[in-house]
Amino acid sequence: MSTSNFVLFLVSGGLAIVGAIGTVASRKPLRAAVALLLHIIALAALYLTLHAELLAALQLLVYAGAIVVLFVFVIMLIGPAAEVPSNPRGKITRLLSLVVGGSVMATVSFALVGHTAPRLPMLRNEAGENIFGTVEGMGVAIYQQALVPFELVSAALLVAIIGAIAIARSRTPQEQAVVVERQAERIELAAARDAELAQATAKVGS
Amino acid sequence: MFAEYLPVFLLLLVAVGVAIFMFTMASLAGPKNMTPEKAIPYEAGSNTTGARHIRLSIKFYLTAILFVVFDIEAVFLYPWAAMFRRLGWQGLIEMVLFLAVLGVTLVYAWRKGALEWEK
Amino acid sequence: MELWQIILAALLKIGFIIAVVVGAFAPVLVWAERRQSAMMQDRVGPHRAALTLPGWAVDLVDSTVRPLFAGAVLCGLVAALAGFGIFWEFVFSTEADSTFMGVSHEGLYILGAVATAVAGALFVGHKVHAGLVDAGGKVRIIGLLHPLADALKMIWKEDFVPPKADKFLHAIAPIITVIPAVLTFAVIPFSDTLFLDYLTDVVPRDGVIQGATVPMQVANLNVGILFIFAVAGTGVIGAAVGGYASDNKFSLLGGIRAASQMVSYEVALGLTLVPCFMIYDTLRLEEMVMWQHTHSFVPGFAGTWGIFLPPLTIGFILYLTAAIAETKRVPFDLPEGESELVGGYLTEYSGMKFGMFFTGEFVEVVALAAIAAIIFFGGWDVPFLFRSGFDLPGEWAFTVPLTDWVIADQILLQHWFVVVIQLVAFLGKIIALIFFQLTLRWSLPRFRYDQVMALCWKGLLPLSLVLILITGIGILVLNQ
Repeated sequence: MSTSNFVLFLVSGGLAIVGAIGTVASRKPLRAAVALLLHIIALAALYLTLHAELLAALQLLVYAGAIVVLFVFVIMLIGPAAEVPSNPRGKITRLLSLVVGGSVMATVSFALVGHTAPRLPMLRNEAGENIFGTVEGMGVAIYQQALVPFELVSAALLVAIIGAIAIARSRTPQEQAVVVERQAERIELAAARDAELAQATAKVGS
Repeated sequence: MFAEYLPVFLLLLVAVGVAIFMFTMASLAGPKNMTPEKAIPYEAGSNTTGARHIRLSIKFYLTAILFVVFDIEAVFLYPWAAMFRRLGWQGLIEMVLFLAVLGVTLVYAWRKGALEWEK
Repeated sequence: MELWQIILAALLKIGFIIAVVVGAFAPVLVWAERRQSAMMQDRVGPHRAALTLPGWAVDLVDSTVRPLFAGAVLCGLVAALAGFGIFWEFVFSTEADSTFMGVSHEGLYILGAVATAVAGALFVGHKVHAGLVDAGGKVRIIGLLHPLADALKMIWKEDFVPPKADKFLHAIAPIITVIPAVLTFAVIPFSDTLFLDYLTDVVPRDGVIQGATVPMQVANLNVGILFIFAVAGTGVIGAAVGGYASDNKFSLLGGIRAASQMVSYEVALGLTLVPCFMIYDTLRLEEMVMWQHTHSFVPGFAGTWGIFLPPLTIGFILYLTAAIAETKRVPFDLPEGESELVGGYLTEYSGMKFGMFFTGEFVEVVALAAIAAIIFFGGWDVPFLFRSGFDLPGEWAFTVPLTDWVIADQILLQHWFVVVIQLVAFLGKIIALIFFQLTLRWSLPRFRYDQVMALCWKGLLPLSLVLILITGIGILVLNQ
C-alpha cells in the first residue's frame, strides 16, 4: 500500500468509525441517519483504497442516495414517536454488552494480525489494461459471468415492491365494501345477541 | 487511484470550506434578537393549532420504496449502457428480461394504486 | 506529472469553477430571473442597488460626454472616408499599387475597420456617461449590482433558529445541500485537452500529440457521470432534514414533498440519459463530447451533436422535463409553493442559511444545464472547429479586392485561442439552456402535486424505458 493510499485509509477509516459510533449512540433517529450518511461516505472512500471505483460510486448512489433517504422518509413519517425517551437498559446490561462486543472485536483483530488479504487475479481487457473495479470490469462480471444472479435481482425487487404495497397501501373500494359489510354483520349479530340477552333477562326477571 | 481522485478530494475540501464560510457568516454577522412572537412556528400569520408534528401520508413511504427499487434498476442499467456495443444482442436480451420483470413491478404498483397521489 | 503540479492544476481549475459558477452564474441568473419577473408584471425590477459617485466625479464624467460624442462623430467620418476611398480605388484605379490620399489599399481596410470600432466604442461610452450623469452619479449596471446587494443583505440578516428546533440538524441541513451541488462539477469537461507544448502553436489536426497535457476537467474518473449521480443524490437529504428539524408543520410537509419529488425525478433523470450512454458507448463525459466531436454524419461538419440523433431528440425533451422538476423550479415548485405551504422546507430559515439552500439550488440548475450541454449539444464542440482551427465546408478561397489577402475555408488558429473559443462556446450553451428554463418559468402555471408525481412515474419512467429498448434495437440493427 502506497503512502497516499495509507493516508486515505486512515482518514476514511477514522471517519467511518466516527460515523458508526454516531449512528448507534445518538438518541434522535434523524441524527443517527445523518451520522450513517457520514459513515457511508467514508466507506465509499475506503473502497477507493481497494481500487473498487465503480463500487465506491454505487455505494454513494444506492446507500447514501437511496437507503439513507428511505430511512429519513420513515423517520419523518413516524415523527417524534421514534425518539428514544431515555436509556431503558440497566448498568449491568450495558457493561455486559461492552464486554461481549469488545471481545468479539478483539478476537477478530487477533485472528487478522499478520495476515494479508490474498491478491485478486488481475482482470484484463483485450488491450491488456487492468480493468479491475472499473465500469468495464464490473460490466463483464455482471453481464457475462453472473447472468442468473443478475436476472434474479429483478425478481427480488418485485418481491420488495409487493411487500411494501401490502404494508402500505390503502383498501380498494371493493375491499372497503367487504370491510363495511362485515362490520355491519358484526353489528347486526351483536344487536341480535343483545336482544336475545335482554329477552332472557326479561324471562328470568319475570 | 489516489492521484486520480486527489482533485475530487480537493474539490470536496473547497466545497466544505465554502459551506462552512457561508455558515459562519450567517451565525456571526447577523443580529440575535429573539422575541416570543418570533419563536412561534411561522404559518403566514395565523396562529398555530394542534400538535407540532402532523401525520404524513403513507404514500410517501411507498414513493421511497419505489425509488429504492428503481434506483437499483438504474444502477444495473448504467454499466450495461456503457458496455452495450460489446455485449451485443445477448446483452439486449438479458436487459429485456430484467426490464420485463421490473415492468411487471411498475404495472403491479400502478394497478394497486401505489402511483395515485390524489388523496 | 509531479504531485505538486497535479495539485496546482486542480486548484486552478477548482478556482475557475467556483468563480464562474458561484461567483458569476448564480448572481447573473438571479438577476435574469427577477428581471424577467419584473417584465411580466410590469415593474421596474431589481434596479435599486447603486454605487453613488461623489459630486466632483459626476462633474468630471459630465465634462467628458461632449468630447466623447465629438470623437465618435470624427471617427465615423474617418471610417466613411476610408470606405469611400476603397470604392474610389475599386472603380477608378488601374494600377495595382496605387494609393488613395497617400494610403495604400490594405491601409484603407485597416483604417476603416479601426475607425468604425473606435467610433462604436466612443458612442457607447458617450451613452453610458450621459446615462450616469442623468442618474445623478448612481452606477447601476442594468441592475447587476442587485444580486450583490442581496448577498450582502443575507449576511447581515438575523440568523434565526426556532427555539424548539433540533439545533444540530437545523444547522447541518443547508451544509448537506450546498456541498454535493458544488461537487458535481468535478467531472464536467470545460474544453478540449490542453497541450502545454503547443500553447502558442497550431496543433496538428490528426494523430497523437506528444508532450504534457492538462485535461480541462477537475478529475478524469472512470465512473464519469455516475459520480455526478452519486453525489447529487445525497443532496435530497438536506431538504428532508431541514424540513424535519424546523419544528413547523409546513416545513415538514415541504421537506417530505421536496424529498419525494427529488427522488422520483432522480430515477427518471438517470434513465432518460441511458440511451445517450448506449450511443456514445461510455459513461465518461469527456468521451461523450469527443464522440460528438469526431462522428460526422453530414459531410463538411466537424461533428454531430447528440440532439440531432433521433432517439436523443426525444431523450432531450424527457431530460429537460426531469431536470426542471429535479431542481424544484416552476412549474414544478410544489415543495416551495407559497400558496399551499408558506415557504416549504425553507420557512424557518433566514439570512445566509436560506442563501445556502438558494445557492445549492442554483448551482444544481447550472450543473444540470451543463450536463445537457455536454450530452445533447456537443459540450465544447463548435461546428467546423477542429483542434487546428476552423475548417469551413467546401474548398474555396476568396481574395479581398485590391489586396493580396486571402480568406480560405481553412483558418489555422493558435492552440490557446481554440481552447478559449471552446470554453466560451460551452459556457454560452449553458447560459442559453438556463435562459430557456427561465422563460418556461414565466410561461407555465404550477402543476398539482399528484400531477407532478404522475408525470414522473406514469410518464417519464415508462417512456424512457421504451426509449432505451428502441435505441438498443436501433444500434444493433444499424451496426450489422
